Amino acid sequence: MSKLIKRRREDPAANALQWVEDAFLHIADDQPIGSDVRDLIVSFHRFQSDGAALLAEGRKLGVRLKPEEPVEQLADALSQLPVVVLEFPKFRDGRGYSSAVLLRDRYGYTGEIRAVGEVLRDQAAYLIRCGFDAFEPSDGSTLQDWSRYAFRSRHVYHARASGSGAG
Amino acid sequence: MTYVAMTANDLRDGEPVFWAEGRWVKPFLQAELFATSAPAEAALSAARTQPGTVVDPYMIDVVLVDGLPIPTAYRERVRALGPTIHPDIGKQAVGGEVVQAMRAYAGAARSSGRLNLISRK
Amino acid sequence: MYRYNAIDKSIIEDRAAEFRDQVARRLGGELTEEQFKPLRLMNGLYLQLHAYMLRVAIPYGTLSSTQLRGLARIGRIYDKGYAHFTTRTNLQFNWIKLEQAPDILDALAAVDLHAIQTSGNCIRNTTADPYAGATADEVDDPRVWAEAIRQWSTLHPEFSFLPRKFKIAVTASAKDRTVARAHDIGLVLHRAGDGGLAFAVMVGGGMGRTPYLGSVIRGHLPASQLLSYLTAILRVYNRHGRRDNIYKARIKILVAALGADEFAQQVENEWAQMDCSATDLPDAHLAGIRAGFASVPFEALPPVSAVLQVARKTDLALARFVRNNVRPHKMPGYAIVNVSLKAPGEVPGDCTSEQMDALADIADRYGHREIRVTHEQNLVLPHVKLDDLAAVHTALRAVGLASPNINLASDIVACPGMDYCTLANTRAIPVAQAIAARFADTDLAERIGELKIKISGCINACGHHHVAHIGILGVDKKGEEFYQLTLGGSGAEDASLGSLLGPAVPHDQIVPAVEALIDTYLRERRETERFLDTYRRVGPTPFKQAAYVEAH
Repeated sequence: MSKLIKRRREDPAANALQWVEDAFLHIADDQPIGSDVRDLIVSFHRFQSDGAALLAEGRKLGVRLKPEEPVEQLADALSQLPVVVLEFPKFRDGRGYSSAVLLRDRYGYTGEIRAVGEVLRDQAAYLIRCGFDAFEPSDGSTLQDWSRYAFRSRHVYHARASGSGAG
Repeated sequence: MTYVAMTANDLRDGEPVFWAEGRWVKPFLQAELFATSAPAEAALSAARTQPGTVVDPYMIDVVLVDGLPIPTAYRERVRALGPTIHPDIGKQAVGGEVVQAMRAYAGAARSSGRLNLISRK
Repeated sequence: MYRYNAIDKSIIEDRAAEFRDQVARRLGGELTEEQFKPLRLMNGLYLQLHAYMLRVAIPYGTLSSTQLRGLARIGRIYDKGYAHFTTRTNLQFNWIKLEQAPDILDALAAVDLHAIQTSGNCIRNTTADPYAGATADEVDDPRVWAEAIRQWSTLHPEFSFLPRKFKIAVTASAKDRTVARAHDIGLVLHRAGDGGLAFAVMVGGGMGRTPYLGSVIRGHLPASQLLSYLTAILRVYNRHGRRDNIYKARIKILVAALGADEFAQQVENEWAQMDCSATDLPDAHLAGIRAGFASVPFEALPPVSAVLQVARKTDLALARFVRNNVRPHKMPGYAIVNVSLKAPGEVPGDCTSEQMDALADIADRYGHREIRVTHEQNLVLPHVKLDDLAAVHTALRAVGLASPNINLASDIVACPGMDYCTLANTRAIPVAQAIAARFADTDLAERIGELKIKISGCINACGHHHVAHIGILGVDKKGEEFYQLTLGGSGAEDASLGSLLGPAVPHDQIVPAVEALIDTYLRERRETERFLDTYRRVGPTPFKQAAYVEAH
């Protein structure tokens, strides 16, 4: 199983980060799904075609969105999804930040929002303040590296009303 | 006859540097001149094995005028010398015949002076 | 002058510390250039032809004398003793070493300055009227709103990785001294029908390869709702701006593609779904920002200064300076003084460390410690007593800052061009110098009157040539420097984009061509028409005939 950095949202003031085992398995669109009942992360496309069936098998599902895929199309399904994964093909592609903000603020999503792709510690503070709480760093960051950047600013100008601000 | 030289910017101080037999040097006069592009490409591959010391290596056209190497592109002459409006600032401040030659040189040139724009990895 | 509080200071200090870390990782090889470049750009550090360039933010073009001295000192210690004021009212140092950049950011932070977001695909420095707080023709001080925008846009977690750069300007006067209509967002503060403060919101202006004037998407936005509305605009842009082609990634392209009405609708839809109260500034916070701008202790003075009246009669240089560089102030007995950085023969917009120190002294003694920067690469002392104008003039003259040429033919805007910039196709500064030399005689320049000449060394248009009365764009033809002429642009409230006059002329023909254009104007003008007015009345034909006969 792979590991990711997770932030404890239930206690955001603690700013605690920890490594956790990824309970979900990423499944590509053309990958067959085994019979053992694992929790899966699938693309939106696959969620549309196979989602109902997979949920009926008792699996937990997460959906992985590309930057160009609007979060609006997930709105009705969010209550069934413990995880939404937002991809950053290049760390300069900033669409994932708006997606996370909309998930938290517009749809009141309380599940895990995870950043994958080219994910550098230099993004940590921005990601957290937009509502991301799980990260698969691609730059070899340790927890210490991630924390140092995530909570670098003693103050921010706009602590978010949703409470996921860092300062 | 046109030669090819390789240039980049020093990572630490941003100054133009030129490839000379396996290493990067500051004075343009010391730049290695390649008669054809094949050895220049080989030099570029060698330069890439030294990551972290320079930014954005690329090749430029150079001609010999009375035995002195002159970049054909105006931009590269500015880069080798310094701003044209401050003759006392930059490498041109040392003066000398190369500086005079570069200033005097006028001729058709490849416009931007950049050959083989290298996409950064 | 906005006074930083502890929070403001901590933010720029922490950002400087973070960048120190990032530089160390780059120099240690932990970050590739592709990863590092966006990060260093977000701290204003470019790689140019000769060295790194650091672009220091001057928020809404306002500096204290302390800050100006701080910049002078940095120029002496880390650079070559001079710097350049830009068309976005920032300051550029041209000879920076990356390994010293962290120390420079610390030195900036010590005087409440920074280089945050002066480059990169993020919200850049928000500019405002350089006469703010001094001019009678404003409905409110636009810098209060520009500071609110600065705080909102600084390290904004959602909008720090946009498709492309984003520039905002704020004006609060019917006279636009900010080029608001050629910004990604231009905000015009005015009084709405009910007497409350409101913004006209223009989106999609911009220069560069494809210039546009902005479209009004909302005529009267209540001022208190500014930040939530800006958030809606930025969110639509962040989500839908093109990311496949950097030449089509600005918001102006999105607005043109959708049409202004559709774009406005998308913004309204987004705005309607937002919890605006989470973003809009509470009145108390806004009042805090307003209070952060120290009020100037103006004295009650008569509107006419006897001392000045006498001096002007005998000192003709002073009289000329007052005539061309000095503007009315809202307070009787005071004036706005424009400080020209266009001494003929000098580099437009450049200022030495010695000049900065001298100007700081003048501001301390005569100007309530405040200096402004304009988008035309000049400076302003916004609050000077009429009684002190003679002394100020003398002091400016001593350091070469008293050229009486504001808005005249030798007051030329030029980008750094190929003398410094990696993007340039041609040089711009020597062209500006040659034209300025030709029209250095101020009698001649005054006879010509208001004439805005702006020069860009490449299609990125940092010299703002699109909004010049005479715009000059350098182009490369087979390795030689050629220059295209555009006429009839304006960056003021009568905004217009210049039209191409004809084929590009070679470097040595540009001064004769400009002379021919001006001769045409002098011949054709009626009454008090400016160059721009005559051009708009008679059209390009006589100008084209003159310029191209002359040049060939």
